[in-house]
Amino acid sequence: MNETAQQPVIGSVLRASTVGFVCGTRSQEIIHPSFGAFVRTRHGQSADFDVIGVIYAISIDDDPLVRQLIMANNLPHAAARDQRENRMVPVEISVLNVGFIQDNVIYHNLPPRPPLSLDQVCLCDQHTVVHFTRQLDFLRLILNTGDVPTEQLLAAALLQAASARPRNERYAFLVDAGRRLAGMLSHDLPRLQHLLQLIRPA
Amino acid sequence: MSARDPLFPTSDSLDDWFPREMPDLESPLAIAGRRLGVVVGGSLSKGLDVKLDRETVIEDLAVGRYVVVRGQHKRFFCMITDIVLDATNPAIRSDPPDLSDPFLREIYTGTAAFGTLHVAPMLTIDVDEGEPKPVKTIPSHFMPVEIATAEDVNDVFGHEDETHFNVGAPLELEETQVNLDLRRLVERSVGVFGKSGTGKSFLTRILLAGIIRNDIAVNLIFDMHNDYGWEVVDERGPRAKGLKQLFSSRVAIFTLDEESSRRRNAKYDQVVTIGYDEIQPEDLAMLKTTLDLSDSMIDAAYELHKLWKEQWIERLIDASAEVMDMLREELSASPASVQALQRRVQRFERFGFLRPRALDDSARQILAFIEQRKSVVLEFGRYGGALEAYILVANYLTRRIHSMYVEKVERALGDESMEPPQLLITIEEAHKFLDPAIARQTIFGTIAREMRKFNVTLLIVDQRPSGIDEEVMSQVGTRVTALLDNERDIVAVLTGISGAGGLREVLARLDTRQQAIILGHAVPMPVVVKTRSYDADFYQSLHAGPGTPAANGGNGEAAPQPRPSEDRSSRRIR
Repeated sequence: MNETAQQPVIGSVLRASTVGFVCGTRSQEIIHPSFGAFVRTRHGQSADFDVIGVIYAISIDDDPLVRQLIMANNLPHAAARDQRENRMVPVEISVLNVGFIQDNVIYHNLPPRPPLSLDQVCLCDQHTVVHFTRQLDFLRLILNTGDVPTEQLLAAALLQAASARPRNERYAFLVDAGRRLAGMLSHDLPRLQHLLQLIRPA
Repeated sequence: MSARDPLFPTSDSLDDWFPREMPDLESPLAIAGRRLGVVVGGSLSKGLDVKLDRETVIEDLAVGRYVVVRGQHKRFFCMITDIVLDATNPAIRSDPPDLSDPFLREIYTGTAAFGTLHVAPMLTIDVDEGEPKPVKTIPSHFMPVEIATAEDVNDVFGHEDETHFNVGAPLELEETQVNLDLRRLVERSVGVFGKSGTGKSFLTRILLAGIIRNDIAVNLIFDMHNDYGWEVVDERGPRAKGLKQLFSSRVAIFTLDEESSRRRNAKYDQVVTIGYDEIQPEDLAMLKTTLDLSDSMIDAAYELHKLWKEQWIERLIDASAEVMDMLREELSASPASVQALQRRVQRFERFGFLRPRALDDSARQILAFIEQRKSVVLEFGRYGGALEAYILVANYLTRRIHSMYVEKVERALGDESMEPPQLLITIEEAHKFLDPAIARQTIFGTIAREMRKFNVTLLIVDQRPSGIDEEVMSQVGTRVTALLDNERDIVAVLTGISGAGGLREVLARLDTRQQAIILGHAVPMPVVVKTRSYDADFYQSLHAGPGTPAANGGNGEAAPQPRPSEDRSSRRIR
């Protein structure tokens, strides 16, 4: 379960709770994280576990300067670039907690405590994604979360988990996940149908 | 391409291209013992509900097949009685998913939409005791359900021996046998039912052959259509052998129609004739519905018998107008009734076997054969088409034999060596004898109800079991039933059989050929059998004796001998 050092750090924890956290990053560093990706924190001295989460939102807040720049005529290219790269407001990446890793063991529960601010956050490597998604308990966690675009997030996470697997295992993984969803959403068939359309292999 | 490439053999031999032993994954054998699903609910009275696993192909299942539920301490034998398509959400019916997409099909099948079985528990076998017992409890939730294996079936139906006779194989388990307990079979009356053309006479012939081969009982067969004694023209295939050809020294053919027997080259032993003087008014009363006799005509018959004694029929047939005038004064019955009775009785003149005086005492002769443990087939020849002849003769002979039997049994005073042998009387078109209106008066009604203690039981062959008196039906211990599709007949056959409610669907869906349900006294639990073929293999097995290789369905494998510890008498549903 050792995270390889090459996995890019996508930011640091800005604020956190046991159900999720927000990590901030510079705007030029948001080429890696994408909606539905699995991320994990790297714990510091104070904690003994890493939180695993799924990115459900990436937002870029405004600030007074950018408001003024938008109103200005003939904005120089350099000024726009400077505003993007050097602005003092971080890009916010919102993450939903779906599990944690303690002593190299994966738990599909919410973490006992939230990560601490400024803990580093990086993308999970393929091995961790595959390992974590062998159990599909996180589907219910996501389904029951209110403030996220549930279907889109589930579909994106499942497709990411599928693509982390060898090509010949992807179909079976998606069928398996689809069956779990069919079990959970038997009361809401239109939603199930929509979700299955989203994860259906092309 | 290498020479050993399995996909592209270069050999000239066809076997290399099409191997003889291709594993056929969907054959019934391949699915025996495979898990079908889990018990999810139900009750002892209504049967169990089984949710099928996703992998179970519903089309491979069939009502009537055995499944085994492996509980914690017991094996439960159940029969599939219904197959249901179910869904977790009924709304799926109004908006079915697009299953042409294989991805969606794989997901929906077995999750949102799934199959359910209804199974009726029939027997349990305790893991420790290994003895089949009637079912008194049910397995707990989520116990796995499997298709019964050959081994499971053998544990219930045992092996062929002196008293057990192989009548066929359970559905889809053709390497096993259903062995009827013949002693229990003849102990109470037997019914063979099925609509016409479903092989009732073949079934009956197989049962009779088993009973004669194992010398369990002596048979008296009233053979309406010449089906049992000599060669039988099969509707589908070659001529089938009659019982006399199979057991020449132990079967005698009596015939009412010498000419027909001679024409068919049937080697008959005796010709039966009945004198007018032997016919009693009671015999005529039996023909009430067949001859359309009114109560006043029957009263007139009793009066005539009183007046003319045994000559009453002979004199009535020949009675002239003057005699009729004379009768007007002698009898209290109306002249119209007497004349109507005369017209009915004159029909007897068509029957060659009825004569003013009989040549021999046929009943006594038949009884003599029976006492020597020889079965008797009474062929009706061309008179089989006349129901009144059949009923008259069967009733007359049976009444005589019955009274002689009662006398003998009473004289034996419990001394078994003196008692006459167990007698099984086979009658066809039984509902004509056992009609609720006449069953109480006829000798067959009496036999069915109370003759067990006099060693006489009935084998009734009929296509309208609903026409048989309910009280008589309740005395029919073992029922062998081919396809029935009339609702009332199905209800009649299943009345009084424990746990039979679920068998209704099974019964209505039997194949029209070579399939039957056997329920009741002679089998530990109801069973759907594919009956043995009545062919050369069968003839051979009869002479080979029970438990020998040829008797084992002719497949060359010796049937293992029963375990000595087995108490076969406990194998029944009480």
